[in-house]
Amino acid sequence: MPETKKSSVFSQKICRFCNDDQSKVFIDFYDVKALKPLISERGKIVPSRISGNCAKCQRILTRAIKKARSIALLPFAVEH
Amino acid sequence: MRRYLLRSYQSVLILKPDIDEARVAEALEKIGEFIKSNGGASLRIENWGKKRLAYRVKKNRFGIYLNLYHTVESAKVVELETKYKLYDLIIKYMVVRLDDDELERALGKETEVEGESKDEDKKAEAKVEEKAKVEEKAEVEEKAEVEEKAEEKDS
Repeated sequence: MPETKKSSVFSQKICRFCNDDQSKVFIDFYDVKALKPLISERGKIVPSRISGNCAKCQRILTRAIKKARSIALLPFAVEH
Repeated sequence: MRRYLLRSYQSVLILKPDIDEARVAEALEKIGEFIKSNGGASLRIENWGKKRLAYRVKKNRFGIYLNLYHTVESAKVVELETKYKLYDLIIKYMVVRLDDDELERALGKETEVEGESKDEDKKAEAKVEEKAKVEEKAEVEEKAEVEEKAEEKDS
């Protein structure tokens, strides 16, 4: 498989949203900058086994991405 | 009395891209009235400016984003949504319920991100316009070349 740029981004398997003090995790659906790297070129949500996010954060993230899609901040599908 | 609970919500509205600032202000006033008439009050209003949409909405590629944090009687959210739907300047809307800690976080937030994103979008828009211009130029140049060649042939 050819190496893509993304593989280097996800090389370390650490959840990118968990904070050290175990406080509640917030992921804003309008924070496109934070969400953009976690969707694929096709607009799909990157699975947690690749991104390394923990299950809890992945659930919150999924909800945020779906909200962002419904208000046209992120695409449902990118056509090629 | 649970039905008349006053809850906090976040409304994200997309307005038509081709309206000027005066009309945006007008729309904001009207939206404030919508919220008031449903027993709520707007807590914070943000104007995210013109943004490129991820997909076309009612044939528009751009839209003016408004972000409102407000309270509304929980039983009247449906009414508010129908009002959004019937208002012709709004092309898309979303009403999200906020928990107390989410609201606190949202109201405490600075508006730094806003300016950055605005600049980016302006750049994106400028790029699109530039592209169009470049294409036009290329076409013109091509035409000129063709004409030159034709002249050479004639001579």
